[in-house]
Amino acid sequence: MNIVVCVKYVPDATADRSFDSSDSTVDREGVDGLLSELDEYAVEQALLAAEDGDGEVTVLTVGPADAADAVRKALQMGADKGVHVEDDDIAGSDAVATSLILAKALGTLEYDLVFFGMSSTDGTMGVVPTMVAERLGLPAVTYGSEITVDGSTVTVRRDGDVATETITATAPAVVSVTDQSGEPRYPSFKGIMAAKKKPVEDLTLSDLGIDASEVGLGAAWTKVLSFAPRPPRSAGEIVTDEGDGGTKLAEFLASKKFV
Amino acid sequence: MSTAFAESEERRDLRKAVAELGRKYGRDYFNAAYREGRKTTELWEEAGKLGYLGVAVPEEYGGGGGEIGDLAAVCEELAAAGCPLLLMVVSPAIVGTIIAQYGTDEQKQRWLPGLADGTSTFAFSITEPDAGSNSHKITTTAYRQEDGGWRLSGGKTFISGVDEASQVLVVARTEDHKTGNLKPALFLVPTDAPGFTWQEIPMGIVSPEKQFTLFFDDVVLPSDALIGSEDAGIEQLFAGLNPERIMAASFATGTARLALELATEYAKTRQVWKAPIGAHQAVAHPLAQTHIEIELARLMTQKAAALYAAGDHMGAGEAANMAKYAAGEVVCAAVDRAIQTHGGNGLAEEYGLVQMLAGSRLSRIAPVSREMVLNFVAQFSLGLPKSY
Repeated sequence: MNIVVCVKYVPDATADRSFDSSDSTVDREGVDGLLSELDEYAVEQALLAAEDGDGEVTVLTVGPADAADAVRKALQMGADKGVHVEDDDIAGSDAVATSLILAKALGTLEYDLVFFGMSSTDGTMGVVPTMVAERLGLPAVTYGSEITVDGSTVTVRRDGDVATETITATAPAVVSVTDQSGEPRYPSFKGIMAAKKKPVEDLTLSDLGIDASEVGLGAAWTKVLSFAPRPPRSAGEIVTDEGDGGTKLAEFLASKKFV
Repeated sequence: MSTAFAESEERRDLRKAVAELGRKYGRDYFNAAYREGRKTTELWEEAGKLGYLGVAVPEEYGGGGGEIGDLAAVCEELAAAGCPLLLMVVSPAIVGTIIAQYGTDEQKQRWLPGLADGTSTFAFSITEPDAGSNSHKITTTAYRQEDGGWRLSGGKTFISGVDEASQVLVVARTEDHKTGNLKPALFLVPTDAPGFTWQEIPMGIVSPEKQFTLFFDDVVLPSDALIGSEDAGIEQLFAGLNPERIMAASFATGTARLALELATEYAKTRQVWKAPIGAHQAVAHPLAQTHIEIELARLMTQKAAALYAAGDHMGAGEAANMAKYAAGEVVCAAVDRAIQTHGGNGLAEEYGLVQMLAGSRLSRIAPVSREMVLNFVAQFSLGLPKSY
């Protein structure tokens, strides 16, 4: 079973993230980047699925030079090799363009399953897995919280608001996993040391036969017109108890539809 | 000749991975373990499984094959995340180093795999009540038995983590060298050996790791309890003490980083007049000073670790002592300034600083006191006359 995990290099979600004022794209300068935490779950599930067989786990990313850090982290966790698509013309790409690059890159790889995290921690759209599946003509099973691979069949449990579905698909297929699928492992010291010897292939747009006009900020289907920092939290309302404190609290909760 | 002042990518990645693990537990976990009389077993076991405790154990015995600087990075990052593990200073650093360098093949096979994955924990005992910093006054003595084994008699004090350890490495004398300058012999004593008892010393330090007074009442040991050679004792002992100082320095700088982080965050957000208190130089400058002093102490710690890895033990000894001195001073200053930054909140349990107060002073006293380091530097670095 060969598995490709598609991962994204994102600004640390625990830091003060912002946009770049020059082109309204994500500001990568002000905040340290890392492997999207939600993608760590996909790496974990891929490693578990590949553990029993003799297949390989390949980690694939599209991103700037520093995105190599995200690939390295996945290799430290145990993935076998990496592929990094990097090209200046990719900057500012939207989900549609990203899915094109990923699909083309997947075309150069051998795989049975393609794993994704449920969404990125920066864009948080969660549409890329389905777009890639559509481009490749593969079944997509998304938001899996339990993934079982048996032979060429993958069984996925999806926990929805009103029902839990169990869906099976036959490889090749695209699977995205949630943060309920199981805690991702930490890189062991041996994993950290081994990662530097694992192969990482660097690809450009021309390697994939993609014209620069198809991707990047200029080709994006949406445009960020403006952005503003979230306003600071306003001071809370203090209820003075004049014998009717309970009623006032209940009124407040009712006004917010809590009760 | 050039020297790299940046750590290798692997060590930086190790720091990130350990910091992430440390955050999963954090100081709430550490303080709760202390309050509830538990140990930090879950963290120890998970760090062991990931190979973080055994980074410096040779690969052939299941370790990571790294350096003391890697182990020090692990210790520092866990401390910075609020989980300072004192037993890391003792078990993998002192005992692990001594066994790896001087143990017989059999001793290495037997003990190093457990040190590598953290499943075995070792305490280390040198300090005695009547000897203090003067190791030459150590009186714990090993008597050779007719069957080639040993009988150990004596006592130790301020020994960390004996209740968590399976073995204690004991610095003793053999009966042939009962008096005069210390000619130590090192013995591994199982904590369940008949005749070996210990008593907890109630301490004011907030840590799940405890201190003990040990009593060896004619403890009978097999011949292979002697680690390495009877004659190479002092060399073996010193082999473990440089890593101890490097680790103690990292333990302290990690804690100092945490105190500074808490103080900085508070100074940025606490506002009672028109600007956050961090806008006032009386608050900002002590924090900036702390940052500088932490970085200086870390740099000297890294230098000591690099010299040690390069086999320059004399150079490493001087640097390790200086690093331990600087780290001990800065952790005291960092916790002190962080509390002052917080005002009354600094002494409230909720803010997590008051719990660090007594522990920060430990770094100025142990494993070697500030005064003994200054004696060492005065005598060996400056050539001043010996005062004692």
